[in-house]
Amino acid sequence: MPEDLAIRIEDLSITYKVSLEAKRTLKNAVMRASMKQKQRTRTIEAIKHMTLDVPHGSVLGIVGSNGAGKSTLMRCIAGILSPTDGRVVVNGKISTLLALGVGFNPALSGRDNIILGGLASGLNMDEISNKTDEIADFAALPDGFIDLPVRTYSSGMYGRLSFAVAVSMTPDILLLDEALSAGDAAFKEKSFERMRQLCAEARTILIVSHALATVTDLCDTAIWMHKGQMLAKGKPDEIVDDYLKFLNVGSLPSNYEDM
Amino acid sequence: MPVNENFVPKIQVFEPHRASLPPLIPYIKEFWTRRAFATELAKFNDKAEYLDSRLGKVWLVLNPLLLGFVYYLVVTIIRPGGTLPGLTRLDHLLIGLFTFYFAQNCVTAGALSITMGGRLILNQAFPRALLPFSCAIQAFQQFLPTIPVYIFILVAGKWAYPTTIVPGWTWHFLWIPFILICTGLTGFGLALVFATLNVYFRDTNKLLTYITRIWMYLSPVLWLPNSLRGHMKILLWVNPLGPVLNATSRVWVSGETLNKETLVGCVFWAGASILIGGYFFISRERDFAIRI
Repeated sequence: MPEDLAIRIEDLSITYKVSLEAKRTLKNAVMRASMKQKQRTRTIEAIKHMTLDVPHGSVLGIVGSNGAGKSTLMRCIAGILSPTDGRVVVNGKISTLLALGVGFNPALSGRDNIILGGLASGLNMDEISNKTDEIADFAALPDGFIDLPVRTYSSGMYGRLSFAVAVSMTPDILLLDEALSAGDAAFKEKSFERMRQLCAEARTILIVSHALATVTDLCDTAIWMHKGQMLAKGKPDEIVDDYLKFLNVGSLPSNYEDM
Repeated sequence: MPVNENFVPKIQVFEPHRASLPPLIPYIKEFWTRRAFATELAKFNDKAEYLDSRLGKVWLVLNPLLLGFVYYLVVTIIRPGGTLPGLTRLDHLLIGLFTFYFAQNCVTAGALSITMGGRLILNQAFPRALLPFSCAIQAFQQFLPTIPVYIFILVAGKWAYPTTIVPGWTWHFLWIPFILICTGLTGFGLALVFATLNVYFRDTNKLLTYITRIWMYLSPVLWLPNSLRGHMKILLWVNPLGPVLNATSRVWVSGETLNKETLVGCVFWAGASILIGGYFFISRERDFAIRI
């Protein structure tokens, strides 16, 4: 893989089977076996033959409707889901913020959760100890809240703390899935500022967002995903325009019909 | 945009896999590097579990202790007298029960660790075995306070009933760390098996409630290892916890050393549980994010 690339995706396909049974249980499996029935499953093609190169230092926005395969793609790049075909090569340390509060325990204090969330993200104890105050400052929690149980936090405070933990790392590649929706307008601006700072440090950032302004403001490249396929790659403004037209009209623009 | 000069390349390749093991050396390295996550998770789960309870961590000792007295009443009613003098039978039962619960807690909490850790599994990449490992650490942390309680009861029992057997200091007590390591490894290995099964069949945990109950009755906790006769002695060897509970009784209650059969049995079950559980779990853990 060329050294200037952070991520190379080669003919990636991800397919998985989901059971149509309400709950997969041993009892149902035994019943099925005794009646010589097969398990009823449905095959989902989440990603279809996708190829993409992401250079170091780029900020890539990913847009698309629900079920387009955006989150699946992020999870595959992070190594959480395995490809069915093709391969993904990642060059660098990855940090993910695919959901808010991952690893958090609501019964514990903010300080305890910074340790848990940080360790879950791959930081070590020394790094967390050095960064606890910085994280608490970034999350802008009201006085004393850092030592209160997280279940007493407002959803905004919870989101801000989660975001602060994720961006406290200095990853080479940062994967964000709707994370910039955390907090109020002031915190959003602070998040954007942190994103810009990461970009300036030549970090590679992938952002999945339904807030299209985020994509046009922060990203230097964007892709549009639709039903598991990458329909287009280009400048964020153009991709967002095409995507908005599709959303308004409800059918793919004529130049994408063959895809 | 220029590439950061401090950037340290670390290439990871994600490719299709079948039901086979991932490269084990990187897996074990990452497991070791991130062990602090498992130990802190165990510490914080323990803290959160007893945060709202007035008696707090006292329950960690009270629970098995009360259960021990209940079982002591049951066994003395069924077989009054017995062959052991004073409160020796109670001592055997308590240390057996505490050790059994250490292993059982590894298995039952570990079995749920993957299905309960759905958000972590779906959103972070890390060796999944860290989650059941964290449960094993938590079970060990919960076992530790029962040791001074056991010693207190032993001494108090001797004072109240002078015929109670209390082994004096012996170098054979140095076997205790070995027994605990074997118990922990056996429990962790079995937790890996049940954690995987629970991902595929969500009622495994319900079944486990009955399995652990039967398992205890088949283990030398309520009965003495030397009370088995004839072909029933096989119970001590086909049961993964048979050898360690036999060893527990020998060392803790009688102050004896381990015989060769018990030693081999402890090592065999600890090794077999880790190897079989590890293979079963690690070869399937890349499917967990899809199946959760």
